[in-house]
Amino acid sequence: MKKTEYHPNGGVSPELNALDQLDPTDTAALAQVGVLTEGEQRAGTLILRDFCPICIPNRTEGLELLPIATALEKYDWLREKYFWKAVPTDLDEITEQCASQQEVYGYFAWVRKGAKVLLPCQAALYMASDNITQVVHNVVIVEDDAELQLVTGCVTHQNVYSGLHMAVSEQFIGKNARLINTMVHDWGPDVTVYPRSGTFVEAGGCYESNYISLRPAKIITSNPQTRLIGKGASAKFLSVILGVEGSMIDMGGDIYLDADDTTAELAHRGVCTGGEMHQKGLLIGNAKCKAHVDCAGLLLNVGEEGFILSIPGIKAHHPDARMSHEASIGKLAPEQVEYLQSRGMEEREAISLMIRGFLGADIDGLGFELEDRIAEITELAGHGEG
Amino acid sequence: MKENNNVLEIKDLCVYAGQKELLHNLNLTIPAGEVHALFGPNGSGKTTLMMAIMGFSRYQVKSGQILLAGKDITELDITERARWGIGIAQQLPPAIPGVKLQQVLDYVTAANHQQVDNVGQVAKAADMERFLNRDINGNLSGGEIRRAELLQLLAMQPMFSMMDEPDSGVDLEALKVVGELVNMLFSDDPVHPARRKAGLIITHSGNILNYVHVDKAHVMFERQIGCTGNPAIILDTISKYGYAECTQCLQEGV
Repeated sequence: MKKTEYHPNGGVSPELNALDQLDPTDTAALAQVGVLTEGEQRAGTLILRDFCPICIPNRTEGLELLPIATALEKYDWLREKYFWKAVPTDLDEITEQCASQQEVYGYFAWVRKGAKVLLPCQAALYMASDNITQVVHNVVIVEDDAELQLVTGCVTHQNVYSGLHMAVSEQFIGKNARLINTMVHDWGPDVTVYPRSGTFVEAGGCYESNYISLRPAKIITSNPQTRLIGKGASAKFLSVILGVEGSMIDMGGDIYLDADDTTAELAHRGVCTGGEMHQKGLLIGNAKCKAHVDCAGLLLNVGEEGFILSIPGIKAHHPDARMSHEASIGKLAPEQVEYLQSRGMEEREAISLMIRGFLGADIDGLGFELEDRIAEITELAGHGEG
Repeated sequence: MKENNNVLEIKDLCVYAGQKELLHNLNLTIPAGEVHALFGPNGSGKTTLMMAIMGFSRYQVKSGQILLAGKDITELDITERARWGIGIAQQLPPAIPGVKLQQVLDYVTAANHQQVDNVGQVAKAADMERFLNRDINGNLSGGEIRRAELLQLLAMQPMFSMMDEPDSGVDLEALKVVGELVNMLFSDDPVHPARRKAGLIITHSGNILNYVHVDKAHVMFERQIGCTGNPAIILDTISKYGYAECTQCLQEGV
């Protein structure tokens, strides 16, 4: 490994490998959200530890992963064409505050035309110190015919109790390009999280977003905006969330189907063991399109305060928009648990298997990354039962 | 002490669901190596009896005892009873979204590799392979549910197996397969087909008895076993005179 250097002002050189700046508790926290700090299973790595970007040089052809500040210095066109173009600065107080920052932190991932990055590329937004405000701005560009799998881990150190995390993410997916973004969140109990995200998908492009929340923050409100602007573009959203006592999670997702033959699927899966869980989603059909939104919640011992509110929405402006929605909230029925017990399972084993089944039900092609995270949620949720 | 040769012994069992008495001072004994049939009109308590033997929480034992191979299991939970060797094939098992039949089979056979192969072969022979990776009991026909339930029992190899109407909602062709699976479950030693495991089969129509031999039959009414005897004679009587004849029997205290 090369000699390491800290660049607290964020102007770190991507040539430096600073991963061994991380102590074992850091790497453990990062591993929790799928960010690997050793091995060769990633095409590129960028970790923002509080305000310090740590970047491993990547030699994957066609891929560039940089701290956003470095990228803005290096590429003039970034600010002109992409920066603050998918999310307006005046969207709300959060975006206004992000736009007013002097220093810009975050990551920039760029896959050039036709490049297919086989291994996942990873970025971590990591809060290692208690009670800080981390404001980030990320830009992802996947050019025409290119492909990228991005693993984004947002996590707090085990000793971090409170803090504020605000993130603007802008993503641009070119013609026949594909972006799979798997975001795993694992927060301290009193952290407030406001992601603001905007994505454009051009003709034939495909965006897949998987959001997994293991330990919820105190407050998360997220309503990513996706615009399918080219013919045949598609988007697929999945959120899998564990809600606990004292948390308020509001997960939305607006998808605009602006061009013919666009398709969208939005699925929220929530296990609520307390706190408030809002599952939303709005599909807007502006062309000949096909779209479905599906919210499913499972209540486990929520007490008097906990609830799930599901509001899947569809709005059609075009006669050939085929749109549908469904929502269901249920509990684990005793006869189901006992049925599995009659096969020799312990009650807890039965409950775990059922939660796992609920979270993964009807969702095809979960990768092993997601399988692992869902197994963790199952484990965590199971603690409240039995 | 005298060796206990009974696989199942039920003594003066009273079972309630809430305030309602569903079984009243019920007695039943099934010796090792015997399979018994259980007849009775709707609502007489047949399914309740099976569910209570398995230990489902809806069915509260107020008094009496359930012994499995001499061991008192009355206070054990369902998991423990299953592990001691009781298996059940329900008539209307619950569907569980996202839980696959294969996952349950994997769980049951985890400690026994030989059994994994056996179950695989049975699944193939019973044309069940396509159901293995579907939700358990979800969108299955009557015959498919019977086969799925029996496949799980075959994987578990219980000492004592119970089946609730394995012949209901099953067409003749499927019934033959169900019959074969039941026989496989009770007689797992092809060299000695008469050496059987013990079991209890609820049947309304008696159709399953065309494929599976039973040693004895019991008739339930009004929350008790009313009559016990030769299965063919009892079935014959019920089909000729209905359950009224058996009620007569009970009233006369025969």
